Amino acid sequence: MEYIILSLVLLAIGIYGLVTKRNLLKVLMSIELIAAAASMNFVVFSFLVGDQLGQVFFILALSVDTAMTAVVIALVLIAYREHGILDVWELSKLKES
Amino acid sequence: MFIYEAAFAAALVISAFLALHIDETIYAIISFGATLTLLSGLYFFMNAPFAAVFQIVVAVGAVAVFFLAGEMLTPKKGSPQKMRDKIIGLLIASVLAVLPIISDLHVKAFSKSYDLSFASALWEFRALDVIAQSIVILMLALGIVMVLRGKGGK
Repeated sequence: MEYIILSLVLLAIGIYGLVTKRNLLKVLMSIELIAAAASMNFVVFSFLVGDQLGQVFFILALSVDTAMTAVVIALVLIAYREHGILDVWELSKLKES
Repeated sequence: MFIYEAAFAAALVISAFLALHIDETIYAIISFGATLTLLSGLYFFMNAPFAAVFQIVVAVGAVAVFFLAGEMLTPKKGSPQKMRDKIIGLLIASVLAVLPIISDLHVKAFSKSYDLSFASALWEFRALDVIAQSIVILMLALGIVMVLRGKGGK
């Protein structure tokens, strides 16, 4: 059952990236890692229980995650096109001005 | 965990950490793709071939999109990351990778096993979800295309 620890480690790495990185693409990668860590638990518990329903939920969760990535990538492209910056802090400063 | 699962888990943690630690966007994206592919391998070891295939399909798509976005948006100038910094990142990742391998929680698996195939779980329990979600994703794809085309036309 070390897969739960593996999932926790992946979650920790994702949170590390979310907190420390300022590049929007890196932030998106961190969110992807957090989502992968969370949805991994569906497969792990499905494996333990011997029920395939967990895999179905995993596929549904992964679809939502992929859709979210597509939306965020589109937003990143628009933000870069409009302002020419990818830095989260710089983008947040635009709100003040 | 068997030895090959442990190797996959260690490589997964190391590649995930390096994906965030490496400054060069292209190498970071390659490392991120390796992370998703290794995750797919772990799913395969857990007798979840559908999840593994789905994960690898998503990995291919995500890496392609990240690669294009990274290539388009990353400025070419900038000081390269120091080798010492990369080695420190690799060491931290290796330490993190040891955690899931040496830990042993001794949690017993459930003895009751349900006789439910993947297809019946998908279509008898979550059929409405699957259909509704595919419609939502189709609308989302159309919306993104419209937004990007609208922005491009201005």
